[in-house]
Amino acid sequence: MELITLLEKGIWFGFAALGFAILFNVPQRTLFIIWVIAALGGLTKLILIQLNLEITIATFAGASLIGILSVYAAHTKHAPPLVFSIPAVIPMVPGIFAYRMMLGLMKLSSTAATSDTYSVSLAETVSYGLKTLFILMALAVGVAVPMLISRKETVKKVKHTAEN
Amino acid sequence: MTKERTNSTKAVEEMLLDVGTLLMGNGASTGRVRTTINRIADALGYEVELLITSRSLMLSVTTEDGSEYTSSVKRTPPHVVNFKLVSGISRLSWRVVEEGLSVEQINQDIERIKALPHYPRFVVLALVALAGASFCRLFGGEAPEMIVAFTATFFGLFIRQEALKMRFNPYISIFFASFAATMVAGLSIKLNIGHSPENALATSVLFLIPGVPLINSLSDLMDGNTLNGIVRGVNGLIIAFSIALGLMLAMQIYSL
Repeated sequence: MELITLLEKGIWFGFAALGFAILFNVPQRTLFIIWVIAALGGLTKLILIQLNLEITIATFAGASLIGILSVYAAHTKHAPPLVFSIPAVIPMVPGIFAYRMMLGLMKLSSTAATSDTYSVSLAETVSYGLKTLFILMALAVGVAVPMLISRKETVKKVKHTAEN
Repeated sequence: MTKERTNSTKAVEEMLLDVGTLLMGNGASTGRVRTTINRIADALGYEVELLITSRSLMLSVTTEDGSEYTSSVKRTPPHVVNFKLVSGISRLSWRVVEEGLSVEQINQDIERIKALPHYPRFVVLALVALAGASFCRLFGGEAPEMIVAFTATFFGLFIRQEALKMRFNPYISIFFASFAATMVAGLSIKLNIGHSPENALATSVLFLIPGVPLINSLSDLMDGNTLNGIVRGVNGLIIAFSIALGLMLAMQIYSL
């Protein structure tokens, strides 16, 4: 039962990425691969969260997987890796946390600093804001992992060195 | 060892400016703009120095023997995301290296890539709306909330496209879109649709998130293109602020 819910979420990760892929006007030949990569990355994140890992670390792992798979996809589908990786990581953007931070900010701006609820709201807002920030950073750095490890200017050379 | 030159330096320079500004304006990172221009210039037997900023590109082209030299600046078009263009130019740059295209052939190919069709408007609206519904599911929404998120996203994106068509400022267009989407999603809370209407409300504006500016900002910063990274980051923040403003106004109206 648990497994089915998990796999079902994978499907939705794929569709969320697909929408952005269309919005960013990616070449048609890359659409299916983007769907698969996004689903795998999203599932990685969910499984790691199930294993009680911190959400930031889980997101980083998911984004890294997306980054690595994007390099392989770039070779087979002849498009730069960012075409795959950017739409695929977008479903992992912490929308709910950002939304709650925004609600908190609105609340803070409209309540008096001396009121009893102020410090609670402040703590909540800061907490959501920091989560949002760190998850976003984990996404961006995670996607860049293959380039940071391989230290090459272009992924074409990553394959060449592997072959030689 | 200089390669035989059949192209005029000026023509090469204009072509490289075209390539660079197109990449920069369509969602490529600064590092990618630099490598692609260097790759093409190298294959044609030229050396090139670059100054890349987010709104304009400056480059000087020198022949390898140093006998000819020219430099010029070109304005970058307003930033939109079009990965078909980025991908097309990337492939083109490798064809220049592998097949030795002339400048004229490159220019023809650039024109072909520019003319590549976008997805039909209805397909874009439907699939982005589906993405909104997917987000809602991922954050724990059920079928009714997903339908609300779908409708709100569809309507919001439609408003954004119309606003851009009417040449509104891009940030204002995002504000309109966010406001419209939240108004639709907020209606569902008033009508008590679903168990967790908060999910629909939070996910109905997610199609506006500045994913490309923020990710490119980080890659620029890590790449040492600090200035461009900051510019992109600030752009992303203003977009996020516009979304928040639209959301806030709609929520005030519904007094949520």
